[in-house]
Amino acid sequence: MRWHLWLDRTPRPGWQNMALDMSLHARAARAGDGYLRLYRWEPSCLSFGRHEPASKRYDRGRIERLGLDTVRRPTGGRAVWHAAELTYAVAAPEAAMGSLREAYHRIHHTIAAALRSLGAPVHLAPARRAAPVDAGACFAAAAGGEVVVDTGKVVGSAQLRSEGALLQHGSVLLHDDQSRVREVTIGDPAPPDVRPLSQLLDREVSWEEVARAIGDAAQPWAARWNTVVDDEDLIAEAEMTAPRFRDPSWTWQR
Amino acid sequence: MSNIPADLRYTTDHEYVKVLDKGLVQVGITDYAQGELGDIVFVNLPKVGDSFDEHGVFGVVEAVKAVSDLFCPLGGEVTEVNGALEADPGIINRDPYDGGWMIRLRMKDPDSLTALLTPEAYKAQLGE
Repeated sequence: MRWHLWLDRTPRPGWQNMALDMSLHARAARAGDGYLRLYRWEPSCLSFGRHEPASKRYDRGRIERLGLDTVRRPTGGRAVWHAAELTYAVAAPEAAMGSLREAYHRIHHTIAAALRSLGAPVHLAPARRAAPVDAGACFAAAAGGEVVVDTGKVVGSAQLRSEGALLQHGSVLLHDDQSRVREVTIGDPAPPDVRPLSQLLDREVSWEEVARAIGDAAQPWAARWNTVVDDEDLIAEAEMTAPRFRDPSWTWQR
Repeated sequence: MSNIPADLRYTTDHEYVKVLDKGLVQVGITDYAQGELGDIVFVNLPKVGDSFDEHGVFGVVEAVKAVSDLFCPLGGEVTEVNGALEADPGIINRDPYDGGWMIRLRMKDPDSLTALLTPEAYKAQLGE
């Protein structure tokens, strides 16, 4: 099986990031290849989980008045504010990564090793059920196998399993504390217990530094990695699914 | 240890089949599957009258951390859908084999039941 590493340094809008991740998933399902993409967002963006009742949970009027970009992810989970973060996406045949929890554990084990190599004292949360959906935003509660320090989350992840392939993507918080999600949530949600990496390391940390650490930690996944530079075919393929992710009626469908 | 009732048949994708009557079966996901997924927050099921081939995608289930396809264990036509799951998909977590059933199917070929996993074979697949 061939693995491809893409350090996607071009900051992209939410709709394009989600469309590109779906193109990687389609390639994993079709050709059996594996992909690790590391990327970032411009403009910053609020993403909702695939079936999350966003209209009931978040104040759309306030979001629009603030001029925030929004997108609905193809994966599960709850809202995430993508600002000062590194986002990862892994797309691979299900058979290569195992069951849902095995895949979670393998990917998070790699990310935790990367963050530890930078000096962050992270570990994987003990196995237990994920928090119920009413518990709040993605970073409000840690599920078993997630990357944490004490009880606070450092990485929030979600997964899609379809057509024999999985897509898991997640956010490694560099500086952001996710307070934007709380600001636009209807009601009075509890503050998220998050641990941005810069706080853990007590210094500024760059996207490039974390991307290289994750790329290095993932090396054991394959005997040899193919390095992807901006892949024009992939970007063109992503245009096929892009209209859905650009459509406000899809983003706010629930 | 997962609950694997002795009177059901199973698939490698963690769906179960319960024979209700001649030619009619009830389909859902196993106790192991609901445990893997965690708290289920949404389920999208087909309509009565829809037809599926064996291994066709008949719906989607979303848990707190994952979205996953649902695969039809047998070819057939949907005769009933569990409407209670729309308002309370958590039933699948609490009671996967009874209250949490998903669809009832009129099988195209009743002989195809023999191709499904026995409880012992499914247990062996799980390594339990």
